[in-house]
Amino acid sequence: MPALLRMPKLSLTMKTGTVVRWYKREGETVEKGEPIVEVLSEKVTCDVEAPASGVLRKIVAKEGEEIPVNGILAVITMPDEPLPEIEEIEKAVTVEFKKPVEKRILASPAAKRLAREYGIDLSQVVGSGPEGRIVEADVRRFIEEKVGYAPKIREAIPLVGIRKMTAEKVSLSKKTAPHCTITMKVDMNEATKLKEKLGVSYTEIIVKAVALALKEHPIMNSSLKNDKIEVYEDVNIGVAVATGEGLVVPVVKNADRKNLNQLSSEIKMLVEKARTGKLEKGDVSGGTFTITNLGMYGVEAFTPIINPPETAILGVGKIEEIPIVVNGEVKIRPVTVLSLSFDHRVIDGAPAAEFLGKIKEFLEKPSRLEN
Amino acid sequence: MLPSSDKLVWMFRKMLEIRHFEEKVYELYGQNLVPGTIHLYVGEEAVAVGVCANLRKDDYITSTHRGHGHCIAKGGDLKRIMAEILGKRTGYCKGKGGSMHIADFSIGMLGATAVVGAGIPIAAGAGLSIKLRGTDQVVACFFGDGASNQGTFHEGINMAAIWKLPVLFVCENNLYAMGTRQSMVMLIENVADRAAAYGIPGVVVDGNDVLAVYEAAKQAVERARKGEGPTLIECKTYRHKGHSRFDPATYRPKEEVEEWLKKDPIPRFRNKLVEMGVLTENEAKGIEEEVLAEIEEAVKFALESPYPKPEEALEDVYA
Amino acid sequence: MREISYRDALREALREEMIRDPTVFLIGEDIGRYWGGAFKVTKGLAEEFGDERVRDTPISENAIIGVAVGAAITGMRPVAEIMFGDLTALAMDQIANQAAKIRYMFGGQAKVPLVIRTPFGGGVNIAAHHSQSLEAWFMHVPGLQVVVASTPYDAKGLLKTAIRNDNPVVFCEHKLLYPLTGHVPEEEYTIPFGVADVKREGTDVTVVATLYMVHKALAAAETLAKEGISVEVVDPRTLVPLDKETITESVRKTGRVVIVTEDCKTAGVSAELAALIAEEALDYLDAPIKRVTTFDVPIPFSPPLENFVIPDEKRIIKAIKEII
Repeated sequence: MPALLRMPKLSLTMKTGTVVRWYKREGETVEKGEPIVEVLSEKVTCDVEAPASGVLRKIVAKEGEEIPVNGILAVITMPDEPLPEIEEIEKAVTVEFKKPVEKRILASPAAKRLAREYGIDLSQVVGSGPEGRIVEADVRRFIEEKVGYAPKIREAIPLVGIRKMTAEKVSLSKKTAPHCTITMKVDMNEATKLKEKLGVSYTEIIVKAVALALKEHPIMNSSLKNDKIEVYEDVNIGVAVATGEGLVVPVVKNADRKNLNQLSSEIKMLVEKARTGKLEKGDVSGGTFTITNLGMYGVEAFTPIINPPETAILGVGKIEEIPIVVNGEVKIRPVTVLSLSFDHRVIDGAPAAEFLGKIKEFLEKPSRLEN
Repeated sequence: MLPSSDKLVWMFRKMLEIRHFEEKVYELYGQNLVPGTIHLYVGEEAVAVGVCANLRKDDYITSTHRGHGHCIAKGGDLKRIMAEILGKRTGYCKGKGGSMHIADFSIGMLGATAVVGAGIPIAAGAGLSIKLRGTDQVVACFFGDGASNQGTFHEGINMAAIWKLPVLFVCENNLYAMGTRQSMVMLIENVADRAAAYGIPGVVVDGNDVLAVYEAAKQAVERARKGEGPTLIECKTYRHKGHSRFDPATYRPKEEVEEWLKKDPIPRFRNKLVEMGVLTENEAKGIEEEVLAEIEEAVKFALESPYPKPEEALEDVYA
Repeated sequence: MREISYRDALREALREEMIRDPTVFLIGEDIGRYWGGAFKVTKGLAEEFGDERVRDTPISENAIIGVAVGAAITGMRPVAEIMFGDLTALAMDQIANQAAKIRYMFGGQAKVPLVIRTPFGGGVNIAAHHSQSLEAWFMHVPGLQVVVASTPYDAKGLLKTAIRNDNPVVFCEHKLLYPLTGHVPEEEYTIPFGVADVKREGTDVTVVATLYMVHKALAAAETLAKEGISVEVVDPRTLVPLDKETITESVRKTGRVVIVTEDCKTAGVSAELAALIAEEALDYLDAPIKRVTTFDVPIPFSPPLENFVIPDEKRIIKAIKEII
């Protein structure tokens, strides 16, 4: 029965080993337990001993070769035994081959719990309890020494669904589009009157204002694709909505061609669908510009991340009554701050500022929005 | 002195209720509608009825594994007894007791215990309770000849005797403890003889003669209500069927069975009532038909009743 | 603060409840005016309440409990005394088959407001028929409640609760506890069932102990405190219902537990407590659960033998040190 010399597992984490040198040549006699080859793994060298006495009939792994753990290094046979095919030996031997029994790590349930919470491999921890049992204090010491004061993990939430999509989108955006954010104060006095007159929301008024401003500054309504800037004809405005599941952005198609009442009912319908998880693919695709509003959370100004592959995004802050100077007089007016993030590859600061200024103008003199 | 005609008719009716009820249970058992086992009172009706005819609603009884008859005689509801035997939620014990553990505390039926002899000290305890509360209630404690060999018989009757508790210890001697003939386990012929050891009266009566049982129980009840203490009444009787549903009772000589069947308490009492002019044959038949109808209704009620929900098994462990 | 003995605390509870409720009565062997109970718990009560309500009985344990059951289901609140815990074996049918099952078997129709007082435990050299601890028997019968009072304060408060309770209660006492004195308020109080008492707070190891073992555990804790080992002693006070929360909470805090009971080890109270901790607090254990119990032998007579088989302070300390 031929014996196989295999790559041993020299540590818990070892996956492969490299043959450093053979002490014996093919055809030489070997004694069981005699070191016949030196192997290297994870910077540690180690002699591998003959599993049986006989003749080193075939060296399978040459010096310098990297072999997976348990891979065959050589075949030892009796002197007069013919050399079978390796596959045949494998088949014959695997039946007998016993999985090495891993030594069980003694650890108290409390130690195991703590190790689980901090993701600690107990094989790395030295136990101080009876019979070398790892106790809670050992794990705690290990954490302090090796891991530092790592925060305790309460739970691990898998990154799936909307959360995963958002994560991918915002990192793509931040990685590819150099962001620049500019802000502008807007007196919402007239817009407020319009809101009350028509019974619409600020968001709806702002969508309308942005749509008209985009018509006048089409470069903001574009995407950078490879070496081309595609400027869109359609003005499709996404409105970011926070839901229990995460952030979704339903899109109002052709916002520039709809009057405020139409916009209002369409946006209300989209928001409702978003909150109840009923948005369909068509509701969330085709956007060319996005508006995000954190005003209801008391945020004054912020640096929104562009929704790729769009060129810009408008962040809306809270509307707050503050004293401002109007025609040389101090007046209390509802004022908001608009934050525009734009892709500096597509557009520079000055034209972006003009675009933002246009939005401000529409909002402060909203008569054109009524049509 | 004979009971009133009304009482006599009541006794006849109760005996018929027990007889036909038990036969119905036997029939339902054959149809696999009764879980577990059953111990029928057929043949012993005169004992329960003769004793209970002397009891008020607020008097107590304790009962045994062969207890359907006791509960019926004390005034139990046939519907709820039948439902309990079938394991239904509407049964007296919501399906938790079954055939061997029927109780109705509202009529003083303190429950059937299936540990032979266990009811004897409990009955004495109810008697002590009566004495301490100062009422004139009494307790009738039913048990068999087998129970009279238990330690509880000695302990319980002795305590009742020394404290003069108002208890009737009613031994239903049907000659067999399961398959063990009385003569195999007792050297005396009459269990009632043991009363002398406790210094109380011991009476032997024909347990298949309801009027004899009635008379003996009447005196014992009077004695008890007067605070003179307990009486041991031994009623010689016979069960027509085996110990339980599974018992063909082959250990009993055929002649013995035949002889006892001739002494069946129901035809005897029926003939007597007709002879005495209390009932005509037709009236007797009418009563029997009413009883049969009542039992059909009980069966219908029990069959149509729902089983308890499994999780109800977790209720009623603690008060 | 008033200090009285465990025995006097029990008597006070009985007396106060007998005054409060005329349906309460006592029944047992030699509990009346001639003897006052083998351990003098009922001394003087027959003189005060009469022989009817403090009722001496023949030596008939099964009937004592049976009669008490019969009285309990017909409106009385008997407190039965079984002179020695070992003798509950004689009354086991009435306790385990009748008292415990009547309510359930009859579909909740009956209440069985019965208290069975009985002393367990060794330490007084009266050998195998008068010294065993059998609390676990009663824990194993659904329908019974099991009290283990370790101090005069607990004894009085728990006995009053037991008497007012509508379930059959096995009220376990311990012979060595009777003379023990402790604080008992003059004013009325009761202790609810199912509320354990932390008899000493500590941080390194939890000792769950019952009855007389509570005191041995406290002595061990005192000794170990001098060596810098902080022992928490938890007394369940009632085994049924069991305050699982307090016990497991303490184990979660210390991560180590030694259970000390005077009943023997196999299928004993300590086995149930160990199972509870393994089931509900395993992830907090930093060492194996330790049990210190009487060895699995009948209680022997000769003092060196008896002292050897029943847990003492040294064995408790040794067990604690094995897991610290």
